[in-house]
Amino acid sequence: MLRVDKASVWFGARDGKPVHALDRVSLDIPDGAFVVALGTSGCGKSTLLNAMAGFLPLSSGSITLNGHAVEGPGAERGVVFQKDALLPWKTVAENVALGLKFAGRGRKERRERAIELLRLVGLQEFAGSAPYELSGGMRQRVGIARALAPDPAILLMDEPFGALDSMTREAMQELLVDVWARTGKQIFFITHSIEEALFLGTELIVMSPRPGRIVARFDLDFINRFSRDRDARAVKTAPEFTELRERVRAIVHQDEVYGRAAE
Amino acid sequence: MTDIASNAELETPARDIRVVKMRGFGIGERSTVPISIATALVILIAWWAASEAQLVPHLFLPTPKEVFDAALSFWRDGYANATMWEHVSASLIRILSAGAIAIALGVPVGLFMGLSRWAKGVFDTPIEFYWPLPPLAYLPLMIIWLGIGEASKITLLTMAMFAPVAIAAQAGVRSVSLERVNAALSLGANRFQLMRDVVLPSALPEILTGTRIALGVGWSTLVAAELIAATQGIGHFVMSASQFLATDFVFVGIGVIAVCAFAFSFGMRLLERWLVPWKGQS
Ligand SMILES: Nc1ncnc2c1ncn2[C@@H]1O[C@H](COP(=O)(O)OP(=O)(O)O)[C@@H](O)[C@H]1O
Ligand SMILES: [Mg+2]
Repeated sequence: MLRVDKASVWFGARDGKPVHALDRVSLDIPDGAFVVALGTSGCGKSTLLNAMAGFLPLSSGSITLNGHAVEGPGAERGVVFQKDALLPWKTVAENVALGLKFAGRGRKERRERAIELLRLVGLQEFAGSAPYELSGGMRQRVGIARALAPDPAILLMDEPFGALDSMTREAMQELLVDVWARTGKQIFFITHSIEEALFLGTELIVMSPRPGRIVARFDLDFINRFSRDRDARAVKTAPEFTELRERVRAIVHQDEVYGRAAE
Repeated sequence: MTDIASNAELETPARDIRVVKMRGFGIGERSTVPISIATALVILIAWWAASEAQLVPHLFLPTPKEVFDAALSFWRDGYANATMWEHVSASLIRILSAGAIAIALGVPVGLFMGLSRWAKGVFDTPIEFYWPLPPLAYLPLMIIWLGIGEASKITLLTMAMFAPVAIAAQAGVRSVSLERVNAALSLGANRFQLMRDVVLPSALPEILTGTRIALGVGWSTLVAAELIAATQGIGHFVMSASQFLATDFVFVGIGVIAVCAFAFSFGMRLLERWLVPWKGQS
């Protein structure tokens, strides 16, 4: 379980007036949970994720993973970036196996595990390709496989599908549901798409900017319904889905208006 | 729905198709080689005409034929008690060994400077101080300190070649994206693995560019280095030919240096294509 306890972040700004990016955010991500963070741009979603990943120290508060304080990046927390950070001089399989190489695993084991993970994301035929030979959606799938390779306790994903076209994006959402169901990992997933948030999460947090806070939480079940029935369209057009979507939209929209008024 | 598709002309395209592409900017993709060859020919003809017509005194500008004859005699009989190959190989060995030392020292120092504030603070001072100096200015010191053997020549060349390599490696480290570094750290990389698998390969294109510049600097420093009591070397050959006012041999020497430098630069480009095929591909 990953626990964020009253995490605050102040960024130093060029004009000397510090930016309050995160204000006493508390959040628990239990084992097996898929928590989605939703909010307008600039509400501190990436800041929260970077702190969880250990890329960013907190101004105050604490983050612990299974009782151990997070004090820097580490292999027990896998990260998937919006823009894939694959290494162009390595093949797709070598990129996926990178975490295993860092852990000192042998060549044969790395190779086998990479193929296994590529199969999980449906890219086994591209093991020997260069990353720049793949499309954006395929690269993002490689990024997911790579983050899974060292067998992390939690997967942190910062708008991983934000740069994809809507058709690829929907396919990727379904793929991610399968990955989650098969690996049973905890996932923390950031998006600014309400539909994506509702479809993917077991829990939704809605954030608002200036300062970044959690303003609403919802328990979700659409992901399990999809896992059972495999019919994304039925899930997304169900009355409960559309009704909740409008409620969440109202909250997010309200934020936007407040946010603008505050400037 | 099907009507729209069937109405469209899906048959083979007309025979006289006009292939188009976006209007470009700058020189575009068409080869500049024919233009360069034509320019070279024009220069050659102008040289021949000027020297044949005695527009300038013969001592200043030998005719192409004389230079060709000089080249032939250099090739066959050598010059100043050494064959052409001995002159060229002496210079090549100096440049290549100095280049190897400059890379072996410059890459780690540059990487270190890009990563550590202390390393940058410490190394910046000497590099910034000596790098702009013309090698001829500190040549006397090299002779006094290291004597007139190979050591002083190679040191002089190494010093001239070290700075561009170190500066390029440092710039290469700076250009590594934070995201790439963070990705590696969250995959469990330690500092050494981060260097080997992320920072060094990311910096490689700039290191190769720096090496290319260093080799150019090496050739231009060569003549100065071979001023030091050399008996062999292509720079020495040019200097001694000029002392006898043998302009045709000076021309030959310059030509040989130009060919060698061009071959190096071409080799570096091949090396670049082989080592960093991903350059420009995200
Ligand atoms: N490195 C930084 N320095 C200063 N301010 C920053 C920095 N990163 C983010 N911020 C500010 O913190 C706030 C939250 O940013 P971020 O977490 O990136 O938002 P989101 O990911 O939700 O779009 C924004 O107001 C942004 O301007
Ligand atoms: Mg963000």
